Amino acid sequence: MSSATEPAVPVAKLPPLDDAAAGDIGDFRANSLWRLTLRRLFRQRSAVIGAIMLGLLVFSAIFAPWIAPYDPEQVLIGKEDVRKRAAPCIHLLGCPADQPQHILGVDGNVRDQFSRIIYGTRVSLYVGFLTVSLAVIVGTLLGAVSGFLGGWMDNTVMRVLDVVLAFPFLLLAIAIVSVLGPGLTNAMLAIAIISIPIYARVTRASVLSVREMDFIEASRALGASNTQILFRRVLPNALPPLIVVATLGIATAILDTAALSFIGLGAQPPTPEWGSMLAIERNQVFSAPHLVIFPGLAIMFTVLAFNLLGDGLRDALDPRLVHGSGVAKE
Amino acid sequence: MKKNRFMLILGLLLIAALALTACTATSGDVQQAIEEVAPTLQAAATELAPTVQAAVEEIAPTVEAVATEMAPAAEEAAPAFEPMSLAAPDCEYGGLFKEIAALDELTVQFTMCAPDPAFPSKVAFTSFAIQPSEWLESTGGTGELLEHPVGTGPYMISAWNRGEEVQFTKNPNYWGNPAVAENLVFRWQAESAARLLELQSGTVDGIDNPGPDDFETITNDPNLQLLDRPALNIFYLGMNNTYAPFDNEKVRQAIAMGIDRQRIVDNFYPPGSEVASHFTPCSIPNGCAGEEWYEFDPEAARALLAEAGFPDGFTTTIEYRDVVRGYLPDPNIVAQDIQAQLAENLNITAEIVVTESGAFLARADAGELDGLYLLGWGADYPDMTNFLDYHFGAGSSPQFGDHFTDLTDVLAQAASLAGDDARAPLYEQANNLIKQHVPMVPVAHGGSGVAYLATVQNAHVSPLGNEAFASMDPGKDTFVWMQNAEPISLYCADETDGESLRACEQVTEALLAYEVGGTAVVPALATGCEPNEDLTVWTCTLREGVTFHDGSALDANDVVMTYVVQWDAANPLHTGNTGAFSYFSGLWGGFLNAPPSE
Repeated sequence: MSSATEPAVPVAKLPPLDDAAAGDIGDFRANSLWRLTLRRLFRQRSAVIGAIMLGLLVFSAIFAPWIAPYDPEQVLIGKEDVRKRAAPCIHLLGCPADQPQHILGVDGNVRDQFSRIIYGTRVSLYVGFLTVSLAVIVGTLLGAVSGFLGGWMDNTVMRVLDVVLAFPFLLLAIAIVSVLGPGLTNAMLAIAIISIPIYARVTRASVLSVREMDFIEASRALGASNTQILFRRVLPNALPPLIVVATLGIATAILDTAALSFIGLGAQPPTPEWGSMLAIERNQVFSAPHLVIFPGLAIMFTVLAFNLLGDGLRDALDPRLVHGSGVAKE
Repeated sequence: MKKNRFMLILGLLLIAALALTACTATSGDVQQAIEEVAPTLQAAATELAPTVQAAVEEIAPTVEAVATEMAPAAEEAAPAFEPMSLAAPDCEYGGLFKEIAALDELTVQFTMCAPDPAFPSKVAFTSFAIQPSEWLESTGGTGELLEHPVGTGPYMISAWNRGEEVQFTKNPNYWGNPAVAENLVFRWQAESAARLLELQSGTVDGIDNPGPDDFETITNDPNLQLLDRPALNIFYLGMNNTYAPFDNEKVRQAIAMGIDRQRIVDNFYPPGSEVASHFTPCSIPNGCAGEEWYEFDPEAARALLAEAGFPDGFTTTIEYRDVVRGYLPDPNIVAQDIQAQLAENLNITAEIVVTESGAFLARADAGELDGLYLLGWGADYPDMTNFLDYHFGAGSSPQFGDHFTDLTDVLAQAASLAGDDARAPLYEQANNLIKQHVPMVPVAHGGSGVAYLATVQNAHVSPLGNEAFASMDPGKDTFVWMQNAEPISLYCADETDGESLRACEQVTEALLAYEVGGTAVVPALATGCEPNEDLTVWTCTLREGVTFHDGSALDANDVVMTYVVQWDAANPLHTGNTGAFSYFSGLWGGFLNAPPSE
């Protein structure tokens, strides 16, 4: 793989002013940061496990209608002979064949728990990706601009974000949702808003270090404008830490949404959201534990997937942790 | 690095400077604004002055009269007892009371505008528990009164740690059988699983409303006892006829037909519950007079909805409070099932809204709930008036919107008749009118339970939800009771929530009472209340030698004062917690001097 001469994954389309040097760095490009990162990532067992778990989640989110045996909002009263909160019934494990199969049992409203959890994956991944994307876009812009320009701009933006950071995370989210009104969209918006400062700070820090580098000085000498330098040179090189934080941030976002839903401010019934599923059945923790354990496990599984992957990414992207792979000299 | 720090300090200074200028700017503005407003204010004040003075002069004689009447009561041992009284000028105001008067130190006479056979049941109710007139006056009808009721009951309030517990101590001078346990503690926990856990671990001696799914666990546990509370309640799906589309009777009827109530009761209610054939449970005399509720018929319901102009349904909300009550054991689940049924049977999209308990009740009482809502009612005394008059009578709150005048007329007529047989045709008519108008959809009479440690002697459950802990023996000094929620206030004249009422019932007593664990009326502070022949004048004779927890003696003026502050909306002590006094207006028809807007 390292001997390939053609760049398979170009980092970013380079402007003409680099053309002269293109030949010299051809080898380096083949070993581009992303390729190496990927290779290093898959050398770590925990990251691979995280990626597989995530793959499973994405698969079940996309193919939910084919995987789930029932409509997640379908009440089975009068349609099947099941009691509410019935325990799991799996034919393979000896559940009588004349009983309908519900591999994770039936919830308090007589709906198939497994289908709800599968569809819950959609909600959670959607929430995780969307909130973090929103926060990353806004946070990166703010952080990059303030880090690159510095001066009063930097001070103003950062002090405002410091104020947001000063509030406890969930408390601020609750306050925002209370103002906007409960609901999944508003919960996502709240979580996006409160995560902005984190991404802004991370971006700003890397921008600050990148902008002092020689190649920036070179671009400037060649007459590149500020915007060009910021978006073509600085930002791409400041991305690695952001990717790590964003991956871990998805886990936090999913967890926070579940928490907001648990206290009734997030997803509204009958949406199959894991946090609200937990909340509604919380009193059945002794009498019907499967209704509390499985949504909880689903949350844990998802958060773990993102955390494992995020940790792996961090190690893979950290030049200090590289052992003899021949790169990381930049 | 240094430059950065410098910039930071500069930035901070800048912000501080900005803030400072902003502050000074606003203070200047405020000053200016005050100067501008001042003349207007002054003008308004001078304009108002005569009116205020006139009002004061008008009130003065009354106040003076009351004051002179009160004076002897204040000096307890004063030999001359000057009886208090208040009379309505006429019965036009819509209420039931004509006059409430102390005849002598131990006799109170209630003169009614219409015969009231339910009088004994009503005066036995907790909201009309007697407190010393001095205490009502010194607190101004609110404030301290909400925290520390002074009663005559077997227990006295010793402390209320908000958010934690209410502590009671035994009243050593109780006139009746003294409390068995030295101390009583009320705690609360909204989660039924947590309540059960506390009971199982023995940290509490009794819990209210164990979860329906836990009934079996409790019966199978030799250390616990489960007592079933009879289903003397109603759970209903409320609507307010002043908000579209519920202003259309056909829409309300469609909803009444479009909900499979049997499915709700079969699936989500504990044993002992039944589908409500009427608003009132059948065990109440005349409760099931008249036609049974609509059969579940989704097709007819859809047709009716289309006829009303909503062939494709509409969008609304289902609002409720996430608290467990005997009539609603599993609010989240029931709300979701109703949501699913509305979508499936009527194509109505309902969004679920959960509101905090106190705010929810306040919104219901004020008629502000514009969608469907889940609420219920537990009997306070076993009479039709307690259910129907409170919800649909002339004095009822606007929780269902405008009153149905044909219904209020029938109820007023029925309430004035004595004897269940005489009232039967009228209640039949009333129940049929409720079915026709559908102010709400009665869903279920919910069975519930109370669980105690097996060691608690004389444990009982009250169908009215007013367990008397004084008679229970936990086998130790302190009896700990855990209910669903904290009392809202302890001035129960102005509370409707059962969790508050139960706490008041340990401390304060009314003229009469309900037997322990039952519904029959027994003497309490009065040895009896005797009516005249046509039931329009009731004379209550007070028990001798009863003292309040503050040491003062019970006399007839305390009784008059207790009633008058609730009855007379113009009384300065008519403040309470929210000032709604819902039970008084609901049971006695209305307030004297009520503000015209209501």
